[in-house]
Amino acid sequence: MKDKSTWRAATVLVFAALLGACSVSEPNGQGDQAAGAGGATATFDLNAPTKGPNGEASTPATSIPDLSDAEVAKVKAARYKVAFLDAGTSTWFNAMRAGANDEVERLGMTVVSTAQADFDPAKQASQVETAMARKPDIIMTLAVDPVSAAQAFKPAVDAGVKIVMVDNGIDGYTAGKEYVSIVTGDHYNMGEGAADLMNQALGGKGKIGYIFHDADFYVTNNRDKAFKAAIEQKYPNIKIAASQGFTAESQTADIASTMLTRNPDLDGIYVSWSAAATGVLAALRDAGNNHVKVTSIDLDATNDLQIAKGGNLFGVTADQPYLEGQVMIRLAAMSLLGKQTPPFVTVKVITETRDNLVEAWRESLHQQPPAAIMNALKK
Amino acid sequence: VAEVLPQTQDEHPAAAQGPGDRNARRSILGSVDWREYVVYAALVLVFTFFAVMAGDRGFLTGSNLLNIVRQTTPITIMAVGMVFALCAGEIDLSIGSVVALSSLVAAVLLRDGSIALAVAGGLGVGLAVGLINGLATVKLRIPSFLVTLGTMSVVAGEARSITKLQAVAIENSTFNFLMGSGSLGPIPILLVWTLVVALIGHIFLKETVFGRHVLATGGNRGAAQSVGIKTQRIKVAALTISATTAALAGMLYAGRLNGARYTLGEADLLTVIAAVVIGGTSLFGGKGSVVGAVMGSLIMGMVNNGLVLMGLDVSQQMVVRGFLIIAAVSLSLRERAR
Repeated sequence: MKDKSTWRAATVLVFAALLGACSVSEPNGQGDQAAGAGGATATFDLNAPTKGPNGEASTPATSIPDLSDAEVAKVKAARYKVAFLDAGTSTWFNAMRAGANDEVERLGMTVVSTAQADFDPAKQASQVETAMARKPDIIMTLAVDPVSAAQAFKPAVDAGVKIVMVDNGIDGYTAGKEYVSIVTGDHYNMGEGAADLMNQALGGKGKIGYIFHDADFYVTNNRDKAFKAAIEQKYPNIKIAASQGFTAESQTADIASTMLTRNPDLDGIYVSWSAAATGVLAALRDAGNNHVKVTSIDLDATNDLQIAKGGNLFGVTADQPYLEGQVMIRLAAMSLLGKQTPPFVTVKVITETRDNLVEAWRESLHQQPPAAIMNALKK
Repeated sequence: VAEVLPQTQDEHPAAAQGPGDRNARRSILGSVDWREYVVYAALVLVFTFFAVMAGDRGFLTGSNLLNIVRQTTPITIMAVGMVFALCAGEIDLSIGSVVALSSLVAAVLLRDGSIALAVAGGLGVGLAVGLINGLATVKLRIPSFLVTLGTMSVVAGEARSITKLQAVAIENSTFNFLMGSGSLGPIPILLVWTLVVALIGHIFLKETVFGRHVLATGGNRGAAQSVGIKTQRIKVAALTISATTAALAGMLYAGRLNGARYTLGEADLLTVIAAVVIGGTSLFGGKGSVVGAVMGSLIMGMVNNGLVLMGLDVSQQMVVRGFLIIAAVSLSLRERAR
């Protein structure tokens, strides 16, 4: 009897779980328009200028003047110490670090602490404490969680460390007081740029799938929201026929293939960032689908080969991480010299297609594309 | 007949643990461990469920079912390896990192080398990590849980540094065809890989002396040693098999994606363990099934695919997946009442 009742209980549990989940999804219809960036964007104002967390107007990174020779000498003499507290690791972070490193070297500074937090706010808090033991003059960081970072970075603020941030602000902190500046890509414009690329790829008309990052994360949420709003507001003949969120890059192949199963007539797919697009491209390859055009955000050595070869990936938008890193160190140096610094600095959006691939890599990552891409471009 | 049956029952160790007051008919049933077959029932149950709920959304189409196989192949192959590790009474947490490193090593070697070199390099990563895992476990007498926790981190670090986080594209079309993107007529090459690895794994575990020794080592190490089984060697071999299947899985990811990246495999460990355990392999050694692990992996793949097709959002998928794992494991792994 024991075995039978186990059976029965477990079977009931399976069905209860599955049915429970289904009934949850019903109010959403297809469950497609769920949380985060999947929500309504009709009120999203694409023309509003990008502003800082406290409403600061943005300053283009290229308009920040270089230090004079005398100032460079002064900074060099002070032998300032820098801590890099990155949020994660990626090609993007590498490029930002490279830009910062070049500026650190030019200004005679030394890097005393390097850490990355795997996007874990608790880890980042410990890393701030650890870095403070090396008494840095400058902390360069991406705050993982704008709420808890207020407490996490307090030891550095109290010690008068110059904090420069990329992308995120910290709640309750103001430029010129707790931190020097925020330097960021224009994520709304990057999302809108991906929509413009989609329009270009589809010739203004078609059905697309929208694969968004289903997590509360400032950068990706803004990209996704702006993409969706731009499609809805600027391109009435392009319809979002399917939308689905993901939390891990490994899920997107699955999502794209199910999207194609349900909507075999899709013309395009957008996905939040390029490393996540790799799975989408694999799903299209599996299906033998040469028709669907993909647009995304960020440069990527593997995917950009598809752009070079004229594959499914049509184009991407990107920011300028190398320049961002460079400018962050320069702003910190200006602040240490007692100079005025702009509170909110943005870099420009780069739109990469096959025509300008090499130029885009140079402008964004300050690198030559890998040999495979260069070869594909020659063909 | 009634007099004979209880004797045969007593010879069956699992049945011998059951209550003694069973009648003869139950003894026949009791001599079969039904839990080994529950995974098939679970597979049918999950399949039927999605056929009903998502059938009109393309769940039953041939291309979708092949998609499920494609998507589960790396998990299935790692699950086959993990069965050996668990059966030998060990566990391998390093598989996700081995996936990343082997894919990158193969991709880098493919830039200027031959396919044979790349495949050897990729598999070499698995062999090396597996040997280190095994030797550290038996020679230093550190639990494999901790050894592989350590190598997981070491290997993940290597995978990050080998190409400085940059993804490596694979242009070798033969490699891409063989390792994931290709198909033989309508049959994806990944299905072939699944069948081949599952068959080899099944035969090794159930039909060879080595397999019996693995099970004996994990079941009762002292007893195994007393009958002359070299349990240390068995454990090293089991952990090497596990890491090597992970290396193969890494190359299959790379072939399917036409490129390698350090993030590959990082989310796979728990899926693999869930698949293996759903398939009736004990977390504590001595009992396991390769076919069950393949079924478990297919269940996980079907659930992922079906939930997306049904249009559930990510948080709902996570909740349902969690319940399903508990339900499936409760069917297959619950300890017998004593």
